[in-house]
Formats: sequence, C-alpha cells, structure tokens
Amino acid sequence: MAEPEKPKKKPKKKLDLNRVKMPKQEPAIRRRNFNEVALGYTHDMALKEANRCIQCKKRPCQSGCPVNIDIPDFIEAIKEDNLPKALEVLKRKTSLPGICGRVCPQETQCELKCTLNQKGAPIAIGRLERYVADWERAQGEVQLPEIAPSTGKNVAVVGSGPAGLTVASELAKLGHKVDLFEALHIAGGVLVYGIPEFRLPKDIVRGEVDYVQKLGVELHLDTVIGINMTLDELLNGKYDAVFLGTGAGLPRFLGVPGENLNMIYSANEFLTRTNLMKAYLYPEYATPLKMGRRVAVIGGGNVAMDAARCAVRLGAEEVHVIYRRSREEMPARAEEVENAEEEEIQFHFLTTPIGFLADGRNNVCAMELLKMQLGEPDESGRRRPVPIEGSEYVMDIDTVVVSLGTSPNPLIPNTTPDLETTRWGTVVADEKGKTSKARVWAGGDIVTGGATVISAMGAGKIAAQAMHEYLTS
Amino acid sequence: MFTIVEKEELASSVHRMRVKAPLVAAKAQPGQFIILIIDEKGERVPFTLSDWNKEDGSVEFVFIEVGKTTRALAKLQKGDSLAHLIGPLGRPSHVDHFGHVVCVVSGYGIAGMVPTIEALKEKGNKITTILQVPNQENLFGEEKLREISDELILAAGGDGGFTNPTALKPLRQLVKRHPRECIDRVIAMASFCLMKLCCEITRPKEIPTYVHLAPLMVDGTGMCGACRCVVEGKNRFACVHGPEFNGHLVQGWDVLMARRCTYADEILGQQSFQCSSCSQW
Ligand SMILES: Cc1cc2nc3c(=O)[nH]c(=O)nc-3n(C[C@H](O)[C@H](O)[C@H](O)COP(=O)(O)OP(=O)(O)OC[C@H]3O[C@@H](n4cnc5c(N)ncnc54)[C@H](O)[C@@H]3O)c2cc1C
Ligand SMILES: Cc1cc2nc3c(=O)[nH]c(=O)nc-3n(C[C@H](O)[C@H](O)[C@H](O)COP(=O)(O)OP(=O)(O)OC[C@H]3O[C@@H](n4cnc5c(N)ncnc54)[C@H](O)[C@@H]3O)c2cc1C
Ligand code: SF4
Ligand code: FES
Repeated sequence: MAEPEKPKKKPKKKLDLNRVKMPKQEPAIRRRNFNEVALGYTHDMALKEANRCIQCKKRPCQSGCPVNIDIPDFIEAIKEDNLPKALEVLKRKTSLPGICGRVCPQETQCELKCTLNQKGAPIAIGRLERYVADWERAQGEVQLPEIAPSTGKNVAVVGSGPAGLTVASELAKLGHKVDLFEALHIAGGVLVYGIPEFRLPKDIVRGEVDYVQKLGVELHLDTVIGINMTLDELLNGKYDAVFLGTGAGLPRFLGVPGENLNMIYSANEFLTRTNLMKAYLYPEYATPLKMGRRVAVIGGGNVAMDAARCAVRLGAEEVHVIYRRSREEMPARAEEVENAEEEEIQFHFLTTPIGFLADGRNNVCAMELLKMQLGEPDESGRRRPVPIEGSEYVMDIDTVVVSLGTSPNPLIPNTTPDLETTRWGTVVADEKGKTSKARVWAGGDIVTGGATVISAMGAGKIAAQAMHEYLTS
Repeated sequence: MFTIVEKEELASSVHRMRVKAPLVAAKAQPGQFIILIIDEKGERVPFTLSDWNKEDGSVEFVFIEVGKTTRALAKLQKGDSLAHLIGPLGRPSHVDHFGHVVCVVSGYGIAGMVPTIEALKEKGNKITTILQVPNQENLFGEEKLREISDELILAAGGDGGFTNPTALKPLRQLVKRHPRECIDRVIAMASFCLMKLCCEITRPKEIPTYVHLAPLMVDGTGMCGACRCVVEGKNRFACVHGPEFNGHLVQGWDVLMARRCTYADEILGQQSFQCSSCSQW
C-alpha cells in the first residue's frame, strides 16, 4: 500500500498453477516421533513458489490477512532474493512470523483471497512466511531493534501467550518498563502447552520469549494474577497500566453420563501433559500420561487434531475423531486434517457421544454414540446437526479426550468486581482493547474466546498502541 | 529458584520442608496448597501448606514418600532449591464460629490441617481431633495437634495395642452421642476412603461434614480439568472450587478414587482398592 504501483505490462505470462509441495516427514515415520512434520521450503522451492505470484494490484491476499501484512511486497522481496527486506516487510505487521507461518489458518485468510485460489492453487503464503522466518533464525543472533528512551512508566502484562508477548515487546520498544506475569512455569501460553512440538517446535517459542526478555521485559513465571496479586493490587501498586492476555484456558465438557470416568481427559490435560510436561519423553521427564490402545477424540478443531495426532505418536493403536458435523464444517486447519488422515486417524462425522460406559473398575471401556444429520444453518452460518432418532450405537474405546473448546478462566474477573464480562465469561473490550476498568486493556482469547494466534497478536498490537497513547498523553 | 531453608524427617518416610517463597507466604490461608516442580524435567506436584511466616517469607509443608517426586524431594537438603513453586492455590478452608468441631486427619492431613484448626480455635471453637496413622512407626505431628485441640484421639493400626485401629470407631462414638454432646461440624483431611466413610457416618444425623479432596492435579489453576469432581450434580474443579467441599454433596466417590489412583496400579499393585496400603492411610 505504501509504495506507488510501478506501471506494469499486462501479465501475458501463463499462470503457474503448480503449488510447490511442502516437504514432510513420511507418515509411517512421523507416527513414531514428535519432530516437526513439515520440513520447510528449501531456497529453490521458495523462489519457485514466490515466482508464481502475479503481484496483483488490488492485493486481495493482504485484505484477507487479519493484521494486514504487505504480502505482495514480502513475496516480491523473496523473488529478488532479498530476504532481509522480506523479513523487514513481515515484521512491520507481525512480530511472530515463524509461528504464524506455521499455525495460521491461511486457507480461510490470505490464501482464500489469493487470485490464484480461483484456479485452486493459491500462493503458499504461509509457507513463504515461514521460510523467511526460518532464514532469520538460521542467521543466529537476532538484531535487537532500537529501544526508545525510558518513559518512566510501568506496565504489567498478564499472560505470556501471543497477545501478552506482543504487547510486552511493543511497549518495551517504546521505552516503557514492562513486567510480564505468567501462571505456568514456562512462558508462551497455548504455544507451549497446547500446540505440539511436531507442529510448532518449542525452540521457536523459546526464541520469541528470549527476544522479549532481551528487550528489557522482566518475566515473572509461577505468578498467578488473581492469587498472588489481584488486578487492583497491580493498579494500586507501581503499574500505570495493565494488559490482560490470559487466554481462554477453561475446558468445556459434554455433560453426558459417565464423563468423569477414569481415562477420560480434557484436551487441555492431555495436551498439557504431553507438550508442556513432555510426557512423550517419560521417564526422562517425570510426568506420565496413561493412555490405552483405542483412543477417541471428541471434537473437530485444531485442538482435537492435535490431541489425536499426539495419541498416535504416544503409541495408540487406533485413534478415532468423533465430530458432530461434517468434514466441511470442521474448524481445524485444512493442512492438519490432511496430515491427520495420512497418519491413519479415523474420522467419524455426524456423530456425537451421549454417554460413556465403565469396565466395572470405573475406567471407561466404551461410549454410546448417536448419528446426526445436518439441518438448518445456525447463528454461525454452519448447518446445525440434528440427531437421527434410533441411531444409537456403542463403540469400544479405552481412552477419551474431550476437545470441545474452552472459555476464559474466571480467576481475574472473580477477583475484580468492576471488570465487565459477557455471559460467556469473556472480558468486554472496545476495538482498541480498552476494558470497562480504568487503565486496563485486554486482548486475545480472553476477549474473543478461543480464536487464532494471529488475531491474538493483532489485538496485542492495537492495544499496545492505545496503551502507549494513554501512557504518553 | 526457591531455596529450602529447613528440612526434617518426622517419621519413617515423612518429611517436613520449609521453603523461601515470599509471594506465597504473603497470601497464604488455612487449607490452601502449593504446586512445586523440583527441576526443569520434574512433575507438578501439589502439597498442602502446614505453616508459613509472612515476615521471613517462608512456607512449610509435610510430605510422605510415595513415588518419584516425593522420593526425590526426600533427598534434598537445606540449602538446595526447587525450580518452581506456585501458590497459594485453592480456596481457604471455611473458618467461623461453629461450636464443637471434630477434625479427622490422616496422612499429610495430620500436618495440613494444623493451620485450619488453629484458625478455628481462634474463632472460639471447641476442637476434637481424631488422628489416624497406619502404625506407631508412622506416627508424627501428635504433639502439635494435642497442643491446639481440646481433645486428641489417637487411632493406630499395627500391634501397638491401640483400642482404635482406625478413626472410624471413635467418630462413630462421638456421632452416637450427638446431639446430646453436640457436634456442629466435622472436617476431614485424610485419605479418600476414610473421608468417604466419615461422610456416611455423619449423614444420618445430618452433621455438616466437610472434606478436603486431593484428586490428581496438573496446573492447579482450573485449566486442565484433571481434578474435576461432581458436587451437588455440578462439575467442580478441586483446585479452584475446593479442595474443601461439603462431603454430603460429593457424588461418585468411587470414580474419584479410581481417578486418584490412575497411576497407582503399577506401584501399589492394586487389584481393587487396598486402602490400608495407601500412603494416605
Ligand atoms: C491445542 C491448540 C491448538 C491450536 N492451534 C492453533 C492453530 O493451529 N492456529 C491458530 O491460529 N490458533 C491455534 N490455536 C488457538 C491459539 O493458540 C490461541 O487463539 C492463542 O494462543 C490465544 O493467545 P492468547 O495470548 O490470547 O492466550 P494464550 O495463548 O491462551 O495465553 C494465555 C496465557 O496466560 C496465562 N494466564 C492465564 N491466567 C493467568 C493469570 N491469572 N495470571 C497469570 N497468567 C495467566 C496462561 O497460563 C497462558 O500462558 C490453538 C489452540 C489450542 C489450545
Ligand atoms: C490439593 C492436594 C494437596 C496435597 N497435599 C499433600 C501434602 O501436604 N503432603 C503430601 O505428602 N501429599 C500431598 N498431596 C498428595 C501429593 O500430591 C502426592 O502424594 C504426590 O503427587 C505424589 O507424587 P510422587 O511423584 O511422589 O508420586 P507418584 O510417582 O506420582 O505416585 C506414586 C503413586 O502413589 C499414588 N499416590 C500418590 N499420592 C496419592 C494419594 N494422595 N492418594 C493415593 N495414592 C497416591 C500415585 O497415584 C502413584 O501411583 C496433595 C495432593 C493434592 C491434590
Ligand atoms: S493474491 Fe496471490 S497472486 Fe496476488 S499478490 Fe497476493 S499472493 Fe500474489
Ligand atoms: S488441576 Fe488442572 S484444573 Fe484443577
């Protein structure tokens, strides 16, 4: 947008519709390890893919990006083999390209809008973004940006997920003193406790956290706001402003009979044990994860895909995903659904559990399922699943992972009476992230409910700007 | 890092540990717990606070060696440190002037209940404490409990010649005399099976009975759902809604116990529950 368009000749060139494939670990091999599945483009692959881009004047791809990355410009820079410039373009709008390139649902964002998508072969924007970020990482020591002189203002950022990390780094660069509080013993939020190593290597997240610390942000792990200090104590203490980025960590359950039987996990527990506590390296790491041979995962989102694919890698013989709508409605990233299928995960669409049965020792041994069909569209525009009467059947399983989504943890709202929340438990904030409480901003999943990394990061950028304006006015 | 400032063996396999953790000490209240991690590869393990000192910023807990983490903890000494410690977690015990309160303790509850009893005492309650241990070699904490209770009843198994092998007989006797000798509240911090039986004893006479549930936990902040239990038909997380619950409203004790022992089969060789070989007994 910034640069004036160069006068271009009409593109006479024939469109290249051969999307460069992502090299991946073979399914049979990756089923047995937690290493990253997608290996990343080589230099040649990236050039080839970038060269497919026709540099559309109207920049439809950019309009599909939640944080408005200047996509054609960074791709152009790759074409010119000018990776420092490509990186600079990316970093104007995203602070976490290595993460977003890997986990963004590009097929519903930039790649959906890409002109070439009309022919079914959008530019692999996410893979190119990842390529540039990986190139930067391979350069070693990351250059620190210039940090503005100290403003003398103190800011508390609560939660170290993508939203919190973004606000912390933005405000630190602007010269504010930032304390970042995290309840868990490792920083990164869902990026470390939820999304598995094989999709997002933890080294990358650690790199981002290190970077934020190098900017002067002080990280306080093992500190729960609402317990160790209330929000009011922060505000009455040394902090001029507070950002809440505590995510949506409270697991939902089905509420059907037998759901508390032994060997029925929430996805949060299953993934936290696996990823944060590294149960896949037990006993080198002390946290175990008990799992049987036939695992059922309930749900159809990214979380369900991650749980199912972890189960495969932890040695399950069969993994079944039970989803109440059809494949088209699945909210998971398309690429991960494909990966899951390649990894021999079995999908049961239009099916929902109505109860769990015990083996006589209070371990789950089977579940009762009900078939559904799609009816009228609901508020979300997706067709509502309605039960088919008399279609109940029983399936033997010995482990269940319930993955129905999450809502915000009520800890902070409960200890802050004047912080307005919705009936879903999300914190009310305006378009700049300002909450109902003076000097408090919020962003990410705590405001939107479970959403995406990029939207959390975007909300962080906007809130940081608004906080900076407040702090310097 | 959290430095260990005191460490003492109280009985066979029972240890007391005091750790510097000023942020935790500043907010600690009776009945709350902490979660600690020994090193970067360690498990998150919960322990109930048995004492704290806001001035020197230290907190104390008593632990029983049962498995990997507790055995590793037992090897640590004064001056060593723990990688992580978070807390105080959970809701504090409900403390008020009730009248006559009967406290049933076993396992770590022998130490974990002390702050609650002290707070109850301060509110002017009369305290009868029933202390259960599997045998005399495992007896600890008796002196402290005797000092803060109006009456202490000891129940021990083994061949010590004790009249009460478990806490159940003395509790039954006390309940029998109710309401002639009134009991206003029973609080138990003990093994699951003992707490469940206490609830059955007090239920017919509707004596308010509160239990401290300690299911498996991971995060301790309401994020994982490992600690869920059904209370009055609702799913509750012991780490944020508890650990103290109205025992008469707790449902599905058997499921809770099965979940608690998910990782016990191999170690305790349990066919079904052999409660008397449980560490909490
Ligand atoms: C398994 C899984 C897979 C996902 N896959 C994708 C994907 O492929 N692509 C995508 O775009 N999105 C994905 N998401 C969603 C995405 O991760 C989230 O939308 C995003 O992480 C939200 O960021 P956040 O900063 O708002 O919160 P979070 O990442 O949830 O971070 C919040 C942090 O705050 C901490 N915290 C909470 N309460 C307190 C407190 N009281 N005091 C101190 N700290 C506190 C938490 O411990 C946590 O570390 C996935 C989510 C999950 C669970
Ligand atoms: C809220 C809460 C407060 C607690 N307070 C204390 C405390 O103050 N002192 C203390 O010693 N412990 C306490 N516990 C129990 C303590 O957390 C466990 O003993 C500990 O996790 C064992 O860890 P480990 O690695 O040593 O054993 P692991 O190797 O994890 O386990 C060894 C075996 O013993 C079993 N086991 C462990 N604990 C129990 C138990 N409580 N009941 C039945 N079986 C068990 C395990 O399931 C496992 O099979 C508390 C638990 C909770 C949830
Ligand atoms: S829409 Fe597609 S082809 Fe057009 S500029 Fe964007 S990435 Fe390139
Ligand atoms: S321990 Fe995770 S929710 Fe209670």
